[in-house]
Amino acid sequence: MTIILELKEVTKAYDAYKVVDGFNFQVEQGELRCLLGPNGAGKTTTIDLITGRQKSTSGMIVFDGKNITGQREDKIAKQGVGRKFQVPAVFKDLTVGENLQVAFSKNTDPFANMFRFGNKDGRQRLQQVFELVGLEDRLDILGGNLSHGETQWLEIGMVLTQNPKLLLMDEPTAGMTEQETQKTSEIFNRLKGEHTLVVVEHDMAFVREIADVITLMHLGKTLAEGPMREVENDPKVKEVYLGSEGITDAA
Amino acid sequence: MSVHDFWTPFSLEPFLNALLIGLSIASIWLVAALGLTIIYGTMGVINMAHGEFIMLGAYSTWVMQYFIGIPWLLCLPLSFIIVGFIGWLVERGLIRHLYERPLDTLLATWGVSLVLIQSIRLIFGGEPQYIDAPSWLKTVMVIDFIHIPWMRIFIFFLALALVAMTIAILYRTNMGIQIRAVMQNKEMAASFGINSKRVYGLTFAYGAGLAGISGAMFSGLKTIFPDMGLGYVVEAFLVVVTGGGEVFGSVATAGIMGQMLSVFSYFTNETFGHFVLFVLIVIFLRFRPQGIFTPSMARR
Amino acid sequence: MQRANLYHDKRAQWAVYLLFFGILAIIPLSMDDPFTMNQYARYGVFGMLALSVSLVWGYGGILSLGQGIAFGMAAYGMGATMQMQYQDPVNDPIPSFMLTNELEALPTVWEPFWNTSVGIILAVGVPVVFFIIFGILMFQARIAGAFVAIMTLAMLGAWYSMAYDMQPFTAGFNGISPPSAFTAFGVEVDPYSNMIYWVSLGVLTVLTLGSKALLQTKFGTIVQAIRDDPERARFLGYNVAYYQIVLFALSGLIAAFAGLVWVMITQFVSPTSLDIFFSITFVIWAAVGGRMSLFGAIFGAMFINAAQSYVGDEFQATWLIILGAVFIVVVRFAPKGLAGLFEYALSFVPYRVRETPQSRIDVSSQSE
Repeated sequence: MTIILELKEVTKAYDAYKVVDGFNFQVEQGELRCLLGPNGAGKTTTIDLITGRQKSTSGMIVFDGKNITGQREDKIAKQGVGRKFQVPAVFKDLTVGENLQVAFSKNTDPFANMFRFGNKDGRQRLQQVFELVGLEDRLDILGGNLSHGETQWLEIGMVLTQNPKLLLMDEPTAGMTEQETQKTSEIFNRLKGEHTLVVVEHDMAFVREIADVITLMHLGKTLAEGPMREVENDPKVKEVYLGSEGITDAA
Repeated sequence: MSVHDFWTPFSLEPFLNALLIGLSIASIWLVAALGLTIIYGTMGVINMAHGEFIMLGAYSTWVMQYFIGIPWLLCLPLSFIIVGFIGWLVERGLIRHLYERPLDTLLATWGVSLVLIQSIRLIFGGEPQYIDAPSWLKTVMVIDFIHIPWMRIFIFFLALALVAMTIAILYRTNMGIQIRAVMQNKEMAASFGINSKRVYGLTFAYGAGLAGISGAMFSGLKTIFPDMGLGYVVEAFLVVVTGGGEVFGSVATAGIMGQMLSVFSYFTNETFGHFVLFVLIVIFLRFRPQGIFTPSMARR
Repeated sequence: MQRANLYHDKRAQWAVYLLFFGILAIIPLSMDDPFTMNQYARYGVFGMLALSVSLVWGYGGILSLGQGIAFGMAAYGMGATMQMQYQDPVNDPIPSFMLTNELEALPTVWEPFWNTSVGIILAVGVPVVFFIIFGILMFQARIAGAFVAIMTLAMLGAWYSMAYDMQPFTAGFNGISPPSAFTAFGVEVDPYSNMIYWVSLGVLTVLTLGSKALLQTKFGTIVQAIRDDPERARFLGYNVAYYQIVLFALSGLIAAFAGLVWVMITQFVSPTSLDIFFSITFVIWAAVGGRMSLFGAIFGAMFINAAQSYVGDEFQATWLIILGAVFIVVVRFAPKGLAGLFEYALSFVPYRVRETPQSRIDVSSQSE
């Protein structure tokens, strides 16, 4: 089993306050890892550090055998890291179709792209993604005019189009209906194996559906890690979530 | 001017005189930029019509003097009030509706600038006008090699007084606390019952008033004409942005910029001095867009 | 079948563009007034300047108030080229304004302009190179929004001072007035003839259609994506700064061509070409006409300037007040300008697009 993502003693500090504190994290290729924890535990910051949105104070981040610590966001993305934001980020003044076109980023060189008029090679993939995210009828709608759920789907679609080796999803089901959440878990289960997923989530039912292993963060460190059942019954975890039914309640 | 005359050789006394003139330039830029500092620092508004508020202060001085016969010194505080009021109207009518859109504010205020310049031109004509300053200010102070017009000395001290007054208002009064609260966090301030709309309106008016009084001051130094404001707006902005939108930042920046211009101008000439100064500022902003004193906003 | 807006139909758009330029091309055939041709040729230059702004601001999201830098630099380059076309290497090698400034020999910087081709290349090339460097300075540091506006403004001010000051080289505030019209391939381009009009229109047409085609490529889509959300674009693997620099340089190229043609028309260049007020005026034209539309911006430039001349000197101040007020209204209420209003009006026209599943992917596009 190859480790595709590894964080070694990664710390992110703002002066004295450590959002991420000597965090160690290893994800195997093809895994679907869920990253859980209360607000402020450092989950989103961890994603920021991996994708290059923030610079770590210390520590090392290795992806696919390469040290990506401190690299620029687009360089990291090109190596095969895709991200879905907590608040869905799509291109508001472009149509759904155009959003997905941009996401198809095999060749990011500006001059090469000056000679491309509509992707012939990407068409098949785009068509698949359109159908998968259920937006075939909405292709001409501006990204900014979509409903919240549709925006989530569009962003998921964009990340799928990007086809990265590692997908980092930050609360992908926020605001989704039961049905949509179900569909998302199906997609994720289909993706793992060929792709590696790290999902930050709060919806426990969803996590149960998809997770192989969960990592529970607390105060910037790992509190517990393992299959769902193990973590649920971990006494440390129960202590932190005082008096509740463990993390099942955690929101 | 021939190529050979480009560089002026160094000699102590004229150089020292240039340094003192530099202080005067600095004080002019500072007072021109002070109102803008408050507005930008508090509201993040980029008011391209700021130069025109200065111009309006100069013209209101002229009107008061020419048509009503008010003495120049009295015109100063009156200009503050008049232009302050105009500023308040502009804020209510336009700026207020563009708060979430900084680029649009920049553009819309440029439109205001255009309207103001042309309106004054329409009403008063485009010819430069002279203001009559008190005679004791029209002379030049001469001490040994130092030659400085008394008006410049007066402006220098008045600039310091205005800065002191502004700091006193911001840090000693209730209104000042409210302004600073809104500056830091609008929503939180609102939850404490601070009416941010009112604060913004008064802040903008105050900033405009400062521009007005500086215009009145400048009218004693040079002739006034409808687009005189254009000569101040770029420099004023550079002072504000380089200073980080804070009063102390603007003081420091104006001081440095004024001296630099004076020194460059001494060695070469004024326009080349401007060139070097602008380029330096552009380079500075590239490395520290947040200004001189504010903590870094670089990718964290 | 899906309901769409005719405004976004690519074929309709191209038809409008071609029709527009076609009509403009035949205008001289119906009139015989060299003075008017010179006037109209100037409108072509204004169109180019608005085009430059529309590209970098409307499509790129970069509000540059310094397009005048490229315009002015190219104008001076062209002025030098034309001046040296007049000078004779043996009898009269030094332009008169330099003699007045007590120069004894032609400055080295001016030497390359003896050769017309080199002169033209420099006139267009130097501004573009400058824009690339300036772009690298700004965009690699992720400077954005109002800061870009202020920095471009300051830089323009710097160059204005430079042109004003370097009298021996630039003739200072007097400006350079090449005594003869521009000559290329043995043909003299008379500024008061149909030819100057067609030169101006030709350059405008090529630049516009080229820009439009570019915007329909993937480059164009990516650039607009960057405008909407640069961070998102980065996370998809795009080097945002690189794209911004390229777009900025292209807009500079267009403004440079404008400067080139301008001096052909007016036979004069002075620091006013680098005037701050003037540079911001291009933005006003583009905003009122519609910055998100190349055609809109060009139309805005032409319309406003035509109206300005029509109004005459007497009413300039009143006209400018109206323009200022219109600009404020546009910024506040109609950010897409006249083109946006037109788009809105067209949305009421019944129009459906027939599509096949394949064409859906290509057809769906909001860019103009």
